[in-house]
Amino acid sequence: MSKIKTIHNPIGSLERFFDLLLISLIVYMTLKGGTSGACAACKYQRRRCAADCPLAPYFPAEQPKLFQNVHRLFGVRSIVKILENLDEVQRPEAMKSIIFQSYVRDRNPVHGCLGITQQLQYMIWLAEEELKAVNSQLQLYRNGQNHANPNNMMIHEIGEKHEDLTSQLDLGMGLPVNNNNQGNIIPFFSQVSEAQLQPQMSYCNESNNNDYNPSPDSSKEILNNHNASLAWGQNQFPYNHHNYGFINQNEHCSETKNNNSVMAIQSQLVNLQMASNQQEEEVDVDQNYDEIHQFLEIIDESHSFTETKEVYASSSGESLKEPIDEIGEKELRRAATCFSLTSVN
Amino acid sequence: MASSYSNYTNSPCAACKFLRRRCTSDCVFAPYFPPEEPTKFANVHRIFGASNVSKILHEVAPHQREDTVNSLAYEAEARLKDPVYGCVGAISVLQRQVLKLQRELEETNADIMRYASSLGSETTSTYGRHRS
Repeated sequence: MSKIKTIHNPIGSLERFFDLLLISLIVYMTLKGGTSGACAACKYQRRRCAADCPLAPYFPAEQPKLFQNVHRLFGVRSIVKILENLDEVQRPEAMKSIIFQSYVRDRNPVHGCLGITQQLQYMIWLAEEELKAVNSQLQLYRNGQNHANPNNMMIHEIGEKHEDLTSQLDLGMGLPVNNNNQGNIIPFFSQVSEAQLQPQMSYCNESNNNDYNPSPDSSKEILNNHNASLAWGQNQFPYNHHNYGFINQNEHCSETKNNNSVMAIQSQLVNLQMASNQQEEEVDVDQNYDEIHQFLEIIDESHSFTETKEVYASSSGESLKEPIDEIGEKELRRAATCFSLTSVN
Repeated sequence: MASSYSNYTNSPCAACKFLRRRCTSDCVFAPYFPPEEPTKFANVHRIFGASNVSKILHEVAPHQREDTVNSLAYEAEARLKDPVYGCVGAISVLQRQVLKLQRELEETNADIMRYASSLGSETTSTYGRHRS
């Protein structure tokens, strides 16, 4: 037995040697970032991923689409130049914003992040209008508690509100109304869970942890200059049909200041929520965008608004009057129920 | 000589001026980068690169190219002003504002519900007294 072993040993050891060599080669290539360990950037460019590759930390091999988007928009040279001009602390945040910007551009090749900015500005304007209307409603309630005969005054004011609504609809502001089962119009933002909006806060919080914050001054300057940059070309964005153009935003807000457009605004927001819910079901969740997925749910909701608005942009005022009249009548009846009995005294 | 240049009697577009090349009649940049606005193309080229912009413009429909260029110009300017966050910084500011307004709306709606319910209970009690 031992003689047989002695005869076969050289061949066996050679085989074992080759096995060991193969294993060590695989391990070496894996550690040094060979074909199986290269970052997405180097894989895309088909080059060897060095140990000090500047893009490797930001583009893992499992998410090639991230780098493809960035490469399509910025290009490698531009990104490397941007990174070189920043500190070590700032680089991860810069890369996150670049990846996000490229992703948004991939999803919306025409408007990119500017589309998001304008949609958010529009949502803010809508919310501010709703807040004004709701505050005026609250004021009516408060006055109703303080005054002796509130029923006459309030019904009169609600009647004025109803007239203002129909004038708003004539201007084409209104949208078809969808009431929920309770007959109450729930504002859009109360339906948006905080969890959906939280990731954006975490994005900012991460920057706080790195002791670098997006300076509000520069962001506000960007927003202020946004109107100037729009002046470079015509303001062709889809939601300008109703003069919601952001160059004239402040003027438009002052025009609607005296209009209690509770119903129109709330109906718009309810519709937006319904459209966005449908949109969410249709959107495919791409595994490559784990880090920015939750944040981008907000973008999806915002993005669906454009489609919704375009659908309704050409709707006539007449077709919208009836549903709004129904709501106005419901509110009137409810108010009457509250106050007609007290007027008997 | 005049006839050969009849197609572009105007001066070359800002892109071709910057790149120091001949501005042909089918230059993709010409309609969107007028020579009066040199910084617009300079910013876009600095951040994105002319070839990337050209590819993007060829991918979108012709009637959407102007909006595309304007959004690229906006993003390039934002990135130059804030190399770390670019235009995403503005988005985060706006989202914080949206959150703040959402909270305010929730609080105000809660106040209204409280008033409405208190009015409703007053009405019920008044009605009950009247009937008896």
